[in-house]
Amino acid sequence: MDPIQEFQHLQTRRHFFGKTATGIGVAALASLLDRDGARVTAAETKPGEGVLTKPHLPQKAKRVIYLFMSGGPSQLDLFDYKPTMKEWFDKDLPESVRMGQRLTTMTSGQKRFPIAPSMFKFKQQGQSGAWISELLPNFATVADDVSFIKSVHTEAINHDPAITYIQTGHQQPGRPSLGAWLSYGLGRMNDSLPAFVVLHSSWSARRDAQALYSRLWGTGFLPSVHAGVSLRSKGDPVLYLSNPPGVSRKSRRNVLDALAQLNRKQEEAFGDPEINTRIQQYEMAYRMQASVPDLVDISGESSKVRDLYGPEVTTPGTFAANCLLARRMIERDVRCVQIFHRGWDQHGALPRDIRLQTRDIDRPMTGLIKDLKSRGLLEDTLVVWGGEFGRTIYSQGTLTKSNYGRDHHPRCYTMWMAGGGIKPGVTHGKTDEFSYNVVENPVHIHDLNATILHCLGIDHERLTYRFQGRDFRLTDVHGHVVNEVLA
Amino acid sequence: MQRNFTHVLLFLGALPTSVASAEAPIDFNRDIRPILSNTCFHCHGMDEATREADLRLDTKEGAFADLGGYHPIVSGKSDKSELFRRIVSADDSEKMPPPDSGKELSDAQIELIRRWIDQGAPWKGHWSFEAPKRPTVPEVKPTATSGNAIDRFIHERLASEGLEPAEEATKEALLRRATFDLTGLPPTIEEIDRFLADDSPDAYEKAVDRLLESPRYGEHMARYWLDAARYGDTHGLHLDNERSIWPYREWVIKAFNNNMPFDQFTVEQLAGDLLFKPNRDQMIATGFNRCNVTTSEGGAIAEEFRVRYAIDRVETTGTVFMGLTVGCAVCHDHKYDPISQKEFYQLFAYFNNLAEPAMDRNKPLPPPTLMLPTPDQQEAVERYKRQIALLDKAIDAELASIDYSDPAELVAGEPEPREYVWFDDSLPEGAKPLGNENEKSWRFVGGPKYPVYCGKSVATRKAKSRSQHYFQGVEKGLLIGESDKLFIHVYLDPQDPPRQVMLQFNDGTWEHRAYWGEDLIEWGEAGTVSRHHAGPLPKQGEWVRLEVDARTVGLKPGTIINGWACTQFDGTVHWDKAGIVSAIPQGEEQLASLAAWEKVLKGDKKKLAALPKDLQNVLKVAKEKRSDAQKKTLTNYFIAHVHPDYRDFFGPLAKQSKEIASRLDSLEKSIPGSLVMKEAPTPRDAFVLIRGEYDKHGEKVSHGVPAALPPLPEHAPKNRLALARWLVDPSHPLTARVTVNRYWQHLFGTGIVKTSEDFGSQGEWPSHPELLDWLAVEFVESGWDVKQLLKLIVTSSTYRQSSRITPEKLEKDPDNRLLSRGPRFRLDAEMIRDQALALSGLMIDRVGGPSVKPYQPSGVWKAVGYTSSNTAVFKQDKGDAVYRRSLYTFWKRTAPPPSMATFDAPTRESCTVRRSRTNTPLQALVLLNDVQFVEAARNMAYRVMVEGGDSPDERIVHAFRLATGRRPDESEVKLLRQAYESQLADYRSNPASAESLTKVGDSPRPTDVDVAELAAWTTVSNLILNLDETITKG
Repeated sequence: MDPIQEFQHLQTRRHFFGKTATGIGVAALASLLDRDGARVTAAETKPGEGVLTKPHLPQKAKRVIYLFMSGGPSQLDLFDYKPTMKEWFDKDLPESVRMGQRLTTMTSGQKRFPIAPSMFKFKQQGQSGAWISELLPNFATVADDVSFIKSVHTEAINHDPAITYIQTGHQQPGRPSLGAWLSYGLGRMNDSLPAFVVLHSSWSARRDAQALYSRLWGTGFLPSVHAGVSLRSKGDPVLYLSNPPGVSRKSRRNVLDALAQLNRKQEEAFGDPEINTRIQQYEMAYRMQASVPDLVDISGESSKVRDLYGPEVTTPGTFAANCLLARRMIERDVRCVQIFHRGWDQHGALPRDIRLQTRDIDRPMTGLIKDLKSRGLLEDTLVVWGGEFGRTIYSQGTLTKSNYGRDHHPRCYTMWMAGGGIKPGVTHGKTDEFSYNVVENPVHIHDLNATILHCLGIDHERLTYRFQGRDFRLTDVHGHVVNEVLA
Repeated sequence: MQRNFTHVLLFLGALPTSVASAEAPIDFNRDIRPILSNTCFHCHGMDEATREADLRLDTKEGAFADLGGYHPIVSGKSDKSELFRRIVSADDSEKMPPPDSGKELSDAQIELIRRWIDQGAPWKGHWSFEAPKRPTVPEVKPTATSGNAIDRFIHERLASEGLEPAEEATKEALLRRATFDLTGLPPTIEEIDRFLADDSPDAYEKAVDRLLESPRYGEHMARYWLDAARYGDTHGLHLDNERSIWPYREWVIKAFNNNMPFDQFTVEQLAGDLLFKPNRDQMIATGFNRCNVTTSEGGAIAEEFRVRYAIDRVETTGTVFMGLTVGCAVCHDHKYDPISQKEFYQLFAYFNNLAEPAMDRNKPLPPPTLMLPTPDQQEAVERYKRQIALLDKAIDAELASIDYSDPAELVAGEPEPREYVWFDDSLPEGAKPLGNENEKSWRFVGGPKYPVYCGKSVATRKAKSRSQHYFQGVEKGLLIGESDKLFIHVYLDPQDPPRQVMLQFNDGTWEHRAYWGEDLIEWGEAGTVSRHHAGPLPKQGEWVRLEVDARTVGLKPGTIINGWACTQFDGTVHWDKAGIVSAIPQGEEQLASLAAWEKVLKGDKKKLAALPKDLQNVLKVAKEKRSDAQKKTLTNYFIAHVHPDYRDFFGPLAKQSKEIASRLDSLEKSIPGSLVMKEAPTPRDAFVLIRGEYDKHGEKVSHGVPAALPPLPEHAPKNRLALARWLVDPSHPLTARVTVNRYWQHLFGTGIVKTSEDFGSQGEWPSHPELLDWLAVEFVESGWDVKQLLKLIVTSSTYRQSSRITPEKLEKDPDNRLLSRGPRFRLDAEMIRDQALALSGLMIDRVGGPSVKPYQPSGVWKAVGYTSSNTAVFKQDKGDAVYRRSLYTFWKRTAPPPSMATFDAPTRESCTVRRSRTNTPLQALVLLNDVQFVEAARNMAYRVMVEGGDSPDERIVHAFRLATGRRPDESEVKLLRQAYESQLADYRSNPASAESLTKVGDSPRPTDVDVAELAAWTTVSNLILNLDETITKG
């Protein structure tokens, strides 16, 4: 395009879609211009467009499903097999392993740190020979489709800071979440559904579940339009979606037509381009009133497909039902779907609760991978599974062969990824025999986030937003892409 | 090259146009510093740790330094300047910024730098660090709209850009704008009519004065401030339980309504507790720095959070009062602004000494707090306390006259065992009779048909196989002592003898059994205390005393039995007079013995726990180790509350005292409190925290302020009060500028400095620097008078312009930064809801009080809440609470009210001085469908039907005026009438729909209007509430 024409084009767009508040100053503007692929400012983007005109990198995944296990699932009982620990039952964790690392104040007062070997059996699965515990018999069948990172680590030792950290790149509230960054960078691909959707699942562990916070899918300083929209299992699937009682879709259409005409008159009188945007947003709202109910209506799914996700798939709000909804959203090109599953904070009675929790997720997440794969969607959809930290090898509270609890362990834990951009069947990173320290290829949560962005075609160092004079990014000033797990 | 050419154009397009012309002088601070800051300071700036090549470009000394024969910048000579040589170098190893830095200079920027150097490279300190001086007000050609000094600054700039100011807004638009800006609400139709009718030249000024005096003004201004103060009704982290700090919100409202000078406003919030004899309000004001989020998560390390809170307080204070991002210096020296890491921790020192436990314990009032009784409540508290004291005094006097000695200890040595009868002709007090015939199991019969051992009657039982009568639940049970024996008398009928008799005792369980005769009753375990064989069947036909050694049935000394069972297998048995042989006083006598009472307590955890704490503590001390005072406490309590002889005297006194105490307790619970600041008695040392980590202490630091800012006065105390006073010293370059800029932002949508949170070198250059300084100086000289400042701005002709955008202005001033027209932007979340409440007539305009919970879709809290958090389940309030202004809405920070968050209300987890302003489909859904907006629409509909005249057109005009302040034109009326008519037809043919729509919400549906009409007007009102014009301040 002729540069002058392009300039004029941008200027016009700026006039039409301007006025969303951004913190970009003259200098910042100049610096943003220097980056290929970036729009001039967020103010220049049309509703639903991302700030990047094209991804920085080849986009292996267009969408992402993030299965978030809130509370910190035990790597020791699921994936990080430590056979020698059997001989260490009820023996003290050697000081040479702990090396004075800080503990939560829930166990720092314990007189002993007795080792609790996992009571569950492990087997190697698939061609890749990945170790998977008996708690996940279904998942074992897709072992070759996923890639495990056993050396994920973080600094935060308690839930609130840790989950805020992995979701937003910072332990304190105030920064945008991963999904919000994706919406900001890449925008929407569907003009009748939001770019970022969050689902909350019921859980079975018999314990107080850790809290979640709206900041985990919030936008921090990014414009709030990028916030995750909760898709709810009770009431309106999207807040305020239904017309009030006594208002039909036809009546709503009539009102919207009159509203648009009146707004157009206002636009003519005042010349404010924002009015046109508002008219468009009312139209999208109207479309959502049809597209969302269609999305959540699973009656058209075959029994074969439902069966993949297990019997709970028909109970709204279960992890199974949410996994199926995730697939339906991916089909409709929702950019980012995040499913939260709570109840993994197993300080005591871990064997009882982890059985209940894995029963919730095993078949549905396996079904999700198979379903995506059979539809060819796994090729360009990234699936991520994990929590905010891992759990300790030593027991918190009572220790018997079949009953123990585990405290928070930020120094190493396991996550897995599958789909677009990921090399399947890889196990990356290694922990010591106590699953206490990383001994090979540590992957910080910033590295993990950099890798997720990478799969979506984003250079994590180049997707930034100027706030309070600083160019912020999801990975703060850290993060290295984990190339070993990439296809 | 083509790419770069685009950049030049775009860059110039975004720059102040004056720079675009080649010869215009370059302003270092406006044009050059931002480039250096963004591109160079990261490696050649303040931060020593990351400084490369020992070169600083953030100071004049550094930029012109002799680097051994060459200089980064040589004034007037770009070709001799190393800096310039490096930025244009084609050699990647020399080029600056380095290609791998991710930073790049555009050709336009390079050209600017060249021209600046060639123009002499004039260097200035960063503008916002130099105290503002009152600039000369520009002389401009008077126009029809020139008003006050503000306009002359604005008009001068407009003229230089070849733009004319806009005409004045219509009177309706102006009044609506000012009413929203000063009160957060729309004007009423009466107010509009009065204003339209007032032709006097000062009509507008009078309206502004009226608005500034409205109590709604303080509420509206407070709402902005509460974003900055990060006010919330929950702690914000982990459990996110409720917090009680609403009295602080009330303080803010009051401060604005009373027009408290901003310097005082600052000092009281930052350091009210340190003022000389602070009054209650000054203490409440310090809640500003108790609004930060806190935690009590199990496992959290207290010091880590104590440090985080202090950092938050420094950052918030920095942002709100100085517009500085001091938080960038937590881990290292600031990359852009002159704030070293050490200086950050010197500021930190001011907030490092709070008497605040880091864990909030999930309580509503984590200390330090202040309780806030009303004068009446205070008086009642004192009265109750006085009454209790009087009673105590009477009790003490009587106690002093009693010389108590324990009957159990009167006899020297071991007291002799005595027999105590527990039951004879009737069951002990409180016993619940039970057995084979339930409550009728105890058959007390008298002679002469039956043998009676003692008294008038005997309990008789005739049985086939196992049968029993028993009781349990006796309040004054038998207290078992050393080698005590339990006894009963039995008479076995020789005509019908039983095969077995059994006694069972209950001390919480029945597992204490003794039997005589055969072993037929299979309870318990044979050969143990739960089935002890005590001997053969007693002799028939005569009274025999059965005795059980308490130990043989497992009743240890100190236990109390409060149930007893008489069981037999076959036959007829008469049971009479049972009890205990014990050295311990029993029954009433027991109550006269302190020693016995203590034993009772040892066996009864519940009773013990019900005693006052201090008494429990005394009881924990071994008898022989008690001090005289402890003994006295115990004895006194015993006499006053337990001993039967004194009951008549102490009983009523104690009862009265207890009653008053409980009244006092519930009164105290109803008294609100608020979180406040308070210094800990011993100062805590402050350190530089290496990389910002709480447990990595570096150099020890003392209180201080950044060197780039004015110094503290000599001998300034090392406390927050000194810091607060320093902030509002007229010589401070930032506080007044930052403050007036924020008010400008409220009114115009964008500040004179757009980055209202950042006045540092990464912040945006002011659109009107002289105006900003003029306003700042004016503000300080007025005595920091906020109302006067607002009046000055809203009466300027700049503010009064029409917000209509011409194509020319859209081209030259797209974002209205030049103020070539009046402000036009969407209302904030709270204003949109408050407007709907006001237009519907539902709004309750009471000022202040605790937060309220209006409508919210169910499940919003539950989806995220910690299961046992006290904010996991949302319970909507009823009545007035549903219709209060939005600043009173309960703010749960981990799940803020969704209808507000959708309209960009912040979560209040951290300080926000500038909200984003988005335009989304979810907003449309809220306005169209949220119960509170639908309910408002139907109440507005009713109002329109009642007030608006009889014809549809009249009503449309009324509704339209309510919402937009103006009369609709004919085509608008027509559109709305068509909408109304088609809706009416629909609802006429579908009465059930009309019925449901007009029932939405808690407010009653009026019965005096036609339902279909009401439904149609509801839809029309809903439409009007959704108009862009309605939700926009234009």
